[in-house]
Order: sequence, then structure tokens, then C-alpha cells
Amino acid sequence: MEFKKVLVPVVGSEADGEAMKLACRLAKKDKGKVWAVSVVAIKRVLPLDAEIDSEIRSAEDVLDSVESVAEEEDYKVETDVLQAREVGPAIVDEAVERGVDIILMGITYKRRFGQFSLGNVVPYVLKNSPCPVMLYQQ
Amino acid sequence: MPESWRPKPGDRIFRPRRIKRFRLRRVLGIPAVFSAGYGNVGSSIYYALGIVALVAMGATPVALGIAGVLFIFTALTYAEGTAALPEAGGSASFTRHAFGNTAGFIAGWALMLSYIVTISISAFTIPPYLGFFWEPFKTSPIIGTFASMGIVLFLMVINVIGIRETSFINVGATLIDILTQVSLVVIGFVLLFNPTVLIHRIIDNWPSTSNLVLGIALATIAYTGIETMSQMAEETKKPEKSVPRAMIMMIVAVLVIFAGVSLVSLSAMPVEELASEWARDPVAGIAFYLPVEIIRTILKPLIAVLAGTILLIATNAGIIGVSRLAFSQGAHGLVPSALSRVHSRFKTPYISIIVFSLIAIAILLPGFFATDVFANMGALYAVGSLLAFMFAHASIIGLRIKKPEMPRPFKLGWNIRIKGREIPISSVIGLASTMTIWVIILITQTYSRWVGLGWMVAGLIVYYFVRRRRRKPSEEWQIKREK
Repeated sequence: MEFKKVLVPVVGSEADGEAMKLACRLAKKDKGKVWAVSVVAIKRVLPLDAEIDSEIRSAEDVLDSVESVAEEEDYKVETDVLQAREVGPAIVDEAVERGVDIILMGITYKRRFGQFSLGNVVPYVLKNSPCPVMLYQQ
Repeated sequence: MPESWRPKPGDRIFRPRRIKRFRLRRVLGIPAVFSAGYGNVGSSIYYALGIVALVAMGATPVALGIAGVLFIFTALTYAEGTAALPEAGGSASFTRHAFGNTAGFIAGWALMLSYIVTISISAFTIPPYLGFFWEPFKTSPIIGTFASMGIVLFLMVINVIGIRETSFINVGATLIDILTQVSLVVIGFVLLFNPTVLIHRIIDNWPSTSNLVLGIALATIAYTGIETMSQMAEETKKPEKSVPRAMIMMIVAVLVIFAGVSLVSLSAMPVEELASEWARDPVAGIAFYLPVEIIRTILKPLIAVLAGTILLIATNAGIIGVSRLAFSQGAHGLVPSALSRVHSRFKTPYISIIVFSLIAIAILLPGFFATDVFANMGALYAVGSLLAFMFAHASIIGLRIKKPEMPRPFKLGWNIRIKGREIPISSVIGLASTMTIWVIILITQTYSRWVGLGWMVAGLIVYYFVRRRRRKPSEEWQIKREK
């Protein structure tokens, strides 16, 4: 399997850095490209292009931190902040548009109602992704 | 690294700002846009039929039909505008592009009125439909009005907190809604439709000309949800293609179902009854008059629940619409910036949601005492939305003159050439007729004249102060003379 185009959605969790490292190492072999995206979910009561400074700033901070991880790995990544209503569809849409070979997501161990939970976004991406999805659990 | 480490000035690194700061994701397809639009337009049949019957009496289907033709023109105008300018704001944004900020503000302010009345009128008609389960909802104006206010308050809180709304529920409710309406029309035609009775009822109860014209004016409220689809354009994939398609689909669906429901309702019951007992819940009236016991037992509770749900969605759509519009107007500096302030925790424009919900509740207040509050609300709704439609038509014509080279993925046909500019005939007819109807409503309806014009004047005052404040240079820019 070739990893020419790797998409790494990030949210600011601890697993992001590790996922980024892994993405850089995978892409290095095939001299591929790595994209990191952070999705800002906009509530329906606001227009989609509403600029919520605090949200955009924190998304940029997250991207800054993964960029520095990639620098440590001596690899270049492209980053983007996306605004969407829902995070899952935005990631899938991005993967389709860029024609990526793999989506690599870092997840942390979370419990909801006493049980291990993946949340909403990861299952959505697993179900709808056009390409293989790799999960990295911290 | 030691804990006492702090970055020194020399440690700072320069990181160039990302040039492409963010991109928007448009994820909705034609079904989602259609269902949102139909959810809004289709919900109005649950109350519009009664309002029109109040004045147009026997000529209700005729009034709805004529307004339907106007609706086609308006929908086409919106299709061209939305395809060319797919952004939040609907007609307010067309107007801003065509005639500048002040006109854009007036259009937006009119649109806000129509959204606020949508909130009130949809909330006001939920209790009568729920009267199937508990009689006082329908019979007692005090309980009914209290329930409506409670509904608006509940939705206000939900929207401030910002609970995730899935489009799945919207699409599902719209599908069941269309199915029920179609089956009601089909069953009604099979069991109730009697051309002789229908023609007699129409001819015997033919209204005076002034009432017929007013009926046509009020019938336009059945079609005002079209703005919603235009607002959805900013999150639709390939809006230049899918929005016009969804709009055309909606025109067909709405016209067929509205014609069917109005004909069936007149066959089912005498006009007087439609205009009095069933004015607020005409569709429940049709189910009540079905001659077959078993169908009646199934349809009556189904319509009560369904109309309740659809109207609840419409109320919520009103709140969402007005808050988005206020935010986008605020972002362009057209309304006080407080209206576009976002809550630090919930990330919602809480001030605009609360302010507009409270105004909607204030509009509901006369429901406690007045009997004609329902028709008044309808006329007020028409005043706001017709003004927005007028601006939409005028802007499409204005854009054709001012920016003829602008890319228009969906361009209206049937144009007349004046000085090398193509003017679409449908928009000209639309503009003339909406303007005529608007003037008629203002002349004949005292309540909507004063409340509607009062709202517009209040808006202009707000606008004047907002602009004056923005123009005033702040202290730091003023050059102080040295003594």
C-alpha cells in the first residue's frame, strides 16, 4: 500500500502529536504529502462563514502544535482550518476532494456512560470514508 | 527541561500567518435543501388555508392559485439570485450587492419581521392541532396562547444552549409530512370530492372584490418559506446547480399539494366552518370530515402529531433564520454589534436569539383577548415577507443593469432588452404584483400597517444610530492641536 496522500484530522487531544508523527513516517517512505485539518463546528443559529475568533484561534493553535511535531520529524505538512456544521461529514468531504490514500486519526481512551466510547466523529468517518482509515489510540 | 524555563525574547520564532486561513465545507445535497424548504413552505398550509378562508371565503382555491403563480415568479427570482450569490442573508444579501448597504439593511430588517412573525404564527397554531389530545388547547384562548409562548421560550433556551440539530429529523419529518399530505389529498379526492358541491360552495360564497384581493394578498404567506432555501445556499454543495433544482422541485410539489388540499377542504366542509371553527387547524378539519370511520381514527391523531412537529420545526427555523440573518447583518455593520455577539461557552449568538424570541412572544400577547389576532398576524407576516420579495425582484433587475457581466449559473429566460441590458419579464411582473399586494395590505389592514411600518421606522432609527456611531472617529485617530 502506498501512502502518497495522508489526511490527519486533529482536535487538540494528546493523540494528535503521535498521529502526526506516524503520518510523517508513513508518508516519508513514498515521499507523500500530509495534510492536517482542524474542523470548527458552527452552530446552526450562526451563518456558516461566521468568524468566531476564539474557535479559530484554538484551531490554529492545534495546527501550530502539529506543525511543530512535523518539523521535529523533518517533514512538511499543509494545514487548514475548515468551518462546517458537522465534523464527520467535513472530514469525509475533505478526503474525497483531496483524493487521499488514508485518513489517520488519533484518538484517546474515553468513557461515556461507563463504557468505552469513540464519540460521534470517528464512527462516522469509519462508516463513510472513501479510503482506508487508521486509528491511533493513545 | 527545568520548570523555571521561560522563553527569552531571542527565543521567539516568526511563523508566517497561514494565507488560506479557513475554508468552508458545504455538505448539503439537493434532498436536504428541498426538505428544509418544503418543511418551511409546506408547514404554512397548516395555517394559511384558514387565514385565506377567513377573507376569501368561497374563492379560497382561486386566491391560493393566483398567489401560486406569483410564487413561481418569486421562486425563479430567488433561484437566479441564490445561484449567483450563494451566501447567508437571502434577499438582504441580493439587495446589498445591488443597491448598497442602506437598502440591504431595509430588506434585511423586513425579512427579520417576517421571520419573527413566522415564529409567532407557527407557535400559535401548534396548540389547536394538539387540541385532539386535550380539548382546552383548541378551545381556550388563554391556555392556547400560554402554550404557544411556552413553545417559543423552550426553543429559545434550546437554541441558546445550542443543542445539535440533525438534518436527519428534518428530512424524516418532511418525508412523512409529504406522504400524509398526499394521502390526505388522494383519500379526500376519492371520498369527498364532488365537483357540483364544490362549484356551488365557491359560487355561493364568492367574496367581494376587495376581499378577493386581500385573500390573494394573504395567500402569499403560504409561500413565504422560500427564503429558507436561499439561506441554505451557503452550506450546499454546488449551490449554483442544486439550489435552483431544489427550488423547481419545491414549486411543483407545493403547487400540487396546495391545490389539492384547498379543493378537498372546500369539498369537505362548508366555507363558514372552515373560516371559523377550523381556521387555525384546517387540515385537522379535513380529517374530521372523512366519511370512513377507520381512516378518520388513524388520520386524526396522525395529523395532530405531524402538524405539531412540522410547525415546531417551522418555529425553530424562524429562530435559526432570524439569528443567522442578524449575525450576518451585524458582521457587515448594519445592526448593533451586540446582536452578533457569540456566547463564550455555547458559541451561539445568544443576544439576538433572546431579543427576537421575546419580540415573537410580544406579538403573541393579543392572543389572550382579541379574536381577530390570527388574521392580523397573517397580514403582518405578509407585510414583512412581501417587502423582502419586492427587494429580491428589484435587486435581480438592478444587478442585471449594474453588473451585467456577473456570472449567473442560473439565468432567467424571457428577457426584454433595454439599452443593451437584459431585464427578466418574470421579475418585472413579480415586482409589480408584490408591490400592488403590499400596498393593498397596508391600506386595508390597520394592525399590520401600524405594526409593520412601526417596525420599519424603529429599524431605520437603529440603523441611523449604528451608522453614526461607526462613522465617529475614535479618540486615538484624532490629531490634537498643540497649544
